[in-house]
Amino acid sequence: MMKLWKTMVTGLVAILAVLVMSPEWARSVERAEAEETARLLAKLLSAGRMVIDQNQALIDDSHRGDKGFTPEVFEQQLIQEFRKQTGIDVSRIQNTPVSITVPPLARELLLAFVVASKEVIRDAQVVINQRGIGYKNFIPATYGSQAAARFSKQSHVRLKQTTLQPRNPKNEPDEYEASVLKWLSGRPRAEAYVSELTEEGRTLRVVMPIYYVRECLKCHGEPKGDLDISGYPKEGAREGDLAGAITVTTPLNLR
Amino acid sequence: MQASLFLVLGLALQGCGLVVDAIQLIYPITTDELDKICTRGQLHVGMAIEPRRPFVFPAIYTDEGLRVTGMDVELVREIADALSRRCKNGQTITPVLNLVRFRDLFVQLNEGRLDLFVSGVSANIPALGRDGLAYSMPYFYDGGIGGITQRSEVNERLRAQLREQLEKPESLAMPKQILAGFAVAVQEGTSAQMYAEANLTGIKLVVCDSLPAAFESEDPAIDVILSQQPVLQFMVTRVRKDWHQILMKTGKPWTVTREQYAVVMAEDNYRLRWFVNDLLFQLDDSGRLAKIRRRWLEEDYAFPRRAATEGLPFDVKGMVTHYDQGTCRVRAGQ
Repeated sequence: MMKLWKTMVTGLVAILAVLVMSPEWARSVERAEAEETARLLAKLLSAGRMVIDQNQALIDDSHRGDKGFTPEVFEQQLIQEFRKQTGIDVSRIQNTPVSITVPPLARELLLAFVVASKEVIRDAQVVINQRGIGYKNFIPATYGSQAAARFSKQSHVRLKQTTLQPRNPKNEPDEYEASVLKWLSGRPRAEAYVSELTEEGRTLRVVMPIYYVRECLKCHGEPKGDLDISGYPKEGAREGDLAGAITVTTPLNLR
Repeated sequence: MQASLFLVLGLALQGCGLVVDAIQLIYPITTDELDKICTRGQLHVGMAIEPRRPFVFPAIYTDEGLRVTGMDVELVREIADALSRRCKNGQTITPVLNLVRFRDLFVQLNEGRLDLFVSGVSANIPALGRDGLAYSMPYFYDGGIGGITQRSEVNERLRAQLREQLEKPESLAMPKQILAGFAVAVQEGTSAQMYAEANLTGIKLVVCDSLPAAFESEDPAIDVILSQQPVLQFMVTRVRKDWHQILMKTGKPWTVTREQYAVVMAEDNYRLRWFVNDLLFQLDDSGRLAKIRRRWLEEDYAFPRRAATEGLPFDVKGMVTHYDQGTCRVRAGQ
C-alpha cells in the first residue's frame, strides 16, 4: 500500500515537473499574465476617460481661468476611479504581493500608464486654463489618444482606442479589431472582453468594449447628423450602445 | 613723417578691404533675413492668442496634441513650404508659432523675436505707433469694420437710421453719428479701435481685451460690438447666434469702412517682404488663395478636425500661462 502511494506521489511530481518545465505550460502562464495585464491596462485607460468625462464641465468652463485640474489632481481621481472598478490601488501597487490578480508585468505597466497620463494633463494645462474659451476639445477621446500614444511609445505594449466609425482616422480599426467590433455590436452589453492569440501565437490581442453612457450622448447621441459642440455630426447613439473599444496588443516572447 | 603714416594706414586699410572681400568670396556672410531663416530652419511667427475665427481659432487639444488652426495658419504653412523650397540643401523650414496677445504682436516684432505675424491684421487702417513695421500685399481683400448687437431695440434703431441715411446719401456726417449714444465695444489695438477713436463721435467707447470679453461684458453693458466684419459674421452665424449683424436695408452687412488683411513684417526685412509678396501673388494668381478663403469662410467644417489634421503646434513656453479673455472698460474722453 505504502509502495503504491509512493509511486503515485512520485508520478504526480514527475508529471507536474514535466508540465512546469514544458514550453506549453510556460506559454500558458505568460498568456495568462499578459491577458490580465492587458485587461487592467484597458480598465485604467477607461478610468482615465471617465475622470475626464466627470471633469468636462470644469474643463469647458469659460468663466474660470485656472481650473485647478492639475496632473496631481487627475492622478488622485484616476487612482480612485480605477480602485472603484477593479479593487486595485495603483498608488500601492509596488507593495502589493505578486498574485494572479496583479501580475508583475501589470505593476510596471500600470504605473507607466499613470505617468503617461499625467504628462498629457500637464501639457494640456495651457489649453485647459484658458478663460473665455469654452470648448477646448480636451475630451475623453483626445486624452485617451494621447495617453495611449505616449504609453505605447515607451513600452512594448500598444494601447489604442478604436471604433467602427471613427471621427479620428487614426482610430480606424484594423481587420481584426473591425471583426471583433462587428461581433460585439450584435450582442447585448457585457463586461466581458475578447482575448485572442494572433500571428501564430506571437501576439496577444485584447479588445475591451466601451459602451455609451448618458454623458457621451451630448456629442454622440440624437438627432443623428446634427452637429455637436465640436462641429462633428452626431452618431445618433443611445445609452448602452457599443461606442467602440480599447484594444491592447502585447507581443509574447515565448513560442 | 605724418604723410608716411597716412600712406601706411591707407595701404593697410586697403589691404583689410581686400581681405574682407576675399573672405566674403569664399564664405559668403549671411546678410539677409531669408538666409537667416534658412540657417536656423525655423520661421518665427506671431499669432494672436485671442481667437479671430476663422482667421485664427482658439488653441485646442487634439489627438495630435496642442494645435491651432485657421485660415492664417494655412497661410503660414504656405509661407513655410515656400521657404523650404527656396532654402538650399533641402532645408525644411518649420513654422514656430508664438501665441501672444494681439497688442504684443507689434512689440515682439519690433524686438526681433518674430520674423512675421499674421492674424487678420488690417493693412490699410491708419494707426499710430506702428513705426518700423511693414505690410505685405493683401491676402484678404473683402474685409471691413462692421457691427453686431444682441439687443433688438438697438438693431431697430440702427436700421431706421441706416434707412434714413440711404434716403439722404448726401449726408456724409451720418456714419460718424449713427452710433451716437450707444456703448460701442472694440478690441484694444485693433483697427476697430483706431477707426472708432478717429471717426466716431458721441459714443461711449468701451475698450475690451478680446472679442470674447466684449461678448460677455455686463458692466459696462455693450450695445454694439465693432470689429472685423468677416470675424463678426462667422461668430454670429456659427458661435454666438444670440448676437445679430447690423444689416443695411439691402440685407448686406453694414460696414463703416473697407479693410484688407496682410502679413506684418519688419520694415527693414526687405527681402522677406518681397518673398511673401511674390508668394501671395502666385497664390492669388493661381486661384489657390481664393480656394483657401472659401474653405475657411464658406464651407461647413469642424474646426477641431481641421486642427487635428492640418493645425500647427505652438510654442507652449512663450504662451501666457493662464490665458485670460480679459475685461472691458470705458475709454474716457470719447
